[in-house]
Amino acid sequence: MEFKKKELSNGLTIVGEVNKSAKSAAVGFFVKTGARDESNEINGVSHFMEHMLFKGTKKLSALEVNEAFDRTGAQFNAFTSEENTVFYAATLPEYLIEVTNLWIDLMRPELRDEDFNIEKNVIKEEIAMYKDLPNFDVMDKCRHLYFDGDSCGNSILGSEESIDNMTAEQMRNYFSNRYAPNNMVLACVGDFDWERLCSQAQSPCGKWENQQVSRELNQSAGSGKCERVENQNLNREHICLMSQGVSAQDPRRFAAVLLSAIIGDDVGSRYFWELVDKALAETAVMQFGAMDGTGVFYSYVQCSNENSAKVLDIIRGIFQSVGKDGISGDELKKAKNKILSALVIKNEVPMGRLIDLGFNWTYLKQYRTIADDVNAIRAVTIDDIHSLIEEFNLCNFTQLSLGPAASKE
Amino acid sequence: MVEKIDKHILKNGMVLLGEPMEVVESAAFNFMLPMGASLLPDGCCGAGTVIIDWIFRGAGARGSKELCDALDSLGLHRSGGISSSHMTIGAVLEASNLHESLDIYRDVIRSSRLEADQFELSKQLAIDVVKGLDDDPRQKVMLKLREKFYPEPLGRNSLGDIEELEALTVDKAAEIIKMNFNLSQAIFMVAGKYDFSEVVRQAENLFETDESNSIEAPTAIAHENKYTHLPNDGAQVHIGLMTRTVLPGDEDYYNARVAVSVLSGGMSARLFTEVREKRGLCYAVGARYHGLKEAAGIACYAGTTPEKAQETLDVITAEFKRLADGISEEEIQRAKVGLKSTLVLQSESSCSRANGIGSDYYILGRVRSLDEIKEKIEATSVDSVLAFLRKNEFKDFTVVTIGPKEVKVG
Repeated sequence: MEFKKKELSNGLTIVGEVNKSAKSAAVGFFVKTGARDESNEINGVSHFMEHMLFKGTKKLSALEVNEAFDRTGAQFNAFTSEENTVFYAATLPEYLIEVTNLWIDLMRPELRDEDFNIEKNVIKEEIAMYKDLPNFDVMDKCRHLYFDGDSCGNSILGSEESIDNMTAEQMRNYFSNRYAPNNMVLACVGDFDWERLCSQAQSPCGKWENQQVSRELNQSAGSGKCERVENQNLNREHICLMSQGVSAQDPRRFAAVLLSAIIGDDVGSRYFWELVDKALAETAVMQFGAMDGTGVFYSYVQCSNENSAKVLDIIRGIFQSVGKDGISGDELKKAKNKILSALVIKNEVPMGRLIDLGFNWTYLKQYRTIADDVNAIRAVTIDDIHSLIEEFNLCNFTQLSLGPAASKE
Repeated sequence: MVEKIDKHILKNGMVLLGEPMEVVESAAFNFMLPMGASLLPDGCCGAGTVIIDWIFRGAGARGSKELCDALDSLGLHRSGGISSSHMTIGAVLEASNLHESLDIYRDVIRSSRLEADQFELSKQLAIDVVKGLDDDPRQKVMLKLREKFYPEPLGRNSLGDIEELEALTVDKAAEIIKMNFNLSQAIFMVAGKYDFSEVVRQAENLFETDESNSIEAPTAIAHENKYTHLPNDGAQVHIGLMTRTVLPGDEDYYNARVAVSVLSGGMSARLFTEVREKRGLCYAVGARYHGLKEAAGIACYAGTTPEKAQETLDVITAEFKRLADGISEEEIQRAKVGLKSTLVLQSESSCSRANGIGSDYYILGRVRSLDEIKEKIEATSVDSVLAFLRKNEFKDFTVVTIGPKEVKVG
């Protein structure tokens, strides 16, 4: 594997990891923008923008874009989070340049009114779809409650109202401010020709104008609020807990990942033995989400309404016991083995590797080999985990539950 | 693409398959046991989800905790599930831990402790999963669709229903395990980095049993269920529809796959273009081939708000039917390149290869090489796909909806 990097004069960074033994290649644009970069008035615009990128350029209609991708057989898509919008494709090596050129074209979309109006319907259908997925809905609502007014708690999809009221002009303004070359990374992984990639990107991307782009970074400790939203249509209790963790830039993020696996991996964790193994909850997991300048431990639990009070007592007990007695060496060892093997397996496929390469550059401006991450995980000690627990008390959580009227169960 | 498939059959009939992959450090393995939902006794079709949990609650010398710890210590990521024909349990892990993992899986399959108190917990979890399905209408509609589409009992919902699960006893579950954990009809597959002669030697020690019973395929009875609606006061109507098509072993199989790809392969395919891009009816819409050994269909899902549900269904069925009217050379080329590229991308993952070779062997009696699949896809043409579509018209849709509003099925 060979790392490559080039920065254009307008600030666009191109990073690559060449692996000639791969059977495929993956390429993506990582745009450092998401729901937290929106005002209330245009909430949902980052995600809507992601959809609109596929609607074409001056020269290409939406259908022509889709046809051009499909002619290469690429597996392509995009996603939007609180703070990133990522466009990616996995492809056979012989189509990599063609696919990259297509992405480059799309990064300067036409944003036609007509397409904007039709796509509004699709966005509203997506909002409706997530309303029927309580496990997603509860996370979204809990994030809003946790960040309590901070833009990190903005809904990624926006609301029907914000989407209805949004104008194409507002989106165009948002686009010119956020899709600036100095706010984007072009990343490529697998079997590809680095020099050719750069020479293709140089001329079109070099014309993009850079902008003053900024993002306010607040380390949030969370509101600590507790709310329950009743929904007659639900059968189970869906509970989300969130508490403060370290940021994506913090070296302790590896310890945070291990701690969340010790407490809430889907098998063999504290949650597993106390809740799932005992059939008190059918799902109970904890994950660590590192963000720009902040970070959050998320728990998601699905159980019966009648078990929910008991389940929450047990979780509090787990948090207290971890705070008081810490974790065991055996727990740390098992968590390391699981996280390490997951890391290696994910990175065997160029598409998996692309995400790490792109985000490492977005957050850290750093190239990290798989071995760097493996070593960082291996190096975490019990004391590292304990000092993390001491600084970020898991008991100080924000809680949101979605569930049926109490009589339904 | 040069590849080879390793194969060995143990004396008791258990099949061992392997696909070596040069550049990976991982290995993925699966055991397919003849305990699919369609092979379970009537009234016990949720038993699979209970059993797949129960057998890991202590096996051989290890109690539940020790067993889980041992697997976790190997950094192993477990997978498993119940299909129509099999219960599959397996994992992906760093290749150096394969040998030790197989020893543990031997215990899980052959000497699980099957303790009564642990059974009750597994059963409770299985019941809760069924209850939770009501909060996931997207998954529920597709399970219901298979149940209504396939001849009984092939499409049985492997999660079962609450009454049946509540009636399941520890003795009955143990009896099912005894009957259906039949290694003479089991398939083991591994993909990634492994030494096949080593795997064979180990399997001979671990799985060479004397089995005399044999699990018979069920007699399938077709049923007439054109439309089923399950009322649910959610935000969307979740639509599932399915129509019959050729089996995986049929000479027209690749024509069917290319046809589905024209319909729903990429974002330029017809369903996405007509339903989402032109009309804005849905966010999620897609169709795919779904094949069992005995029957196969093309299954389609769409989720849409109630006032658009009828139009969505009408546009989708019209697109299915319109396919036989004509397909352009461009569309066929895009469909073919899409299928071939997916094949290569999947071949980089040990997990997808392990799954691929096992289901191939069960359904076709052999493992197709990637080259063979590529050639067969390449050999299709506008004419061959259209001839297939005219011979095997897309009609008689089985439709299931979940949501606040019913639709009219023509």
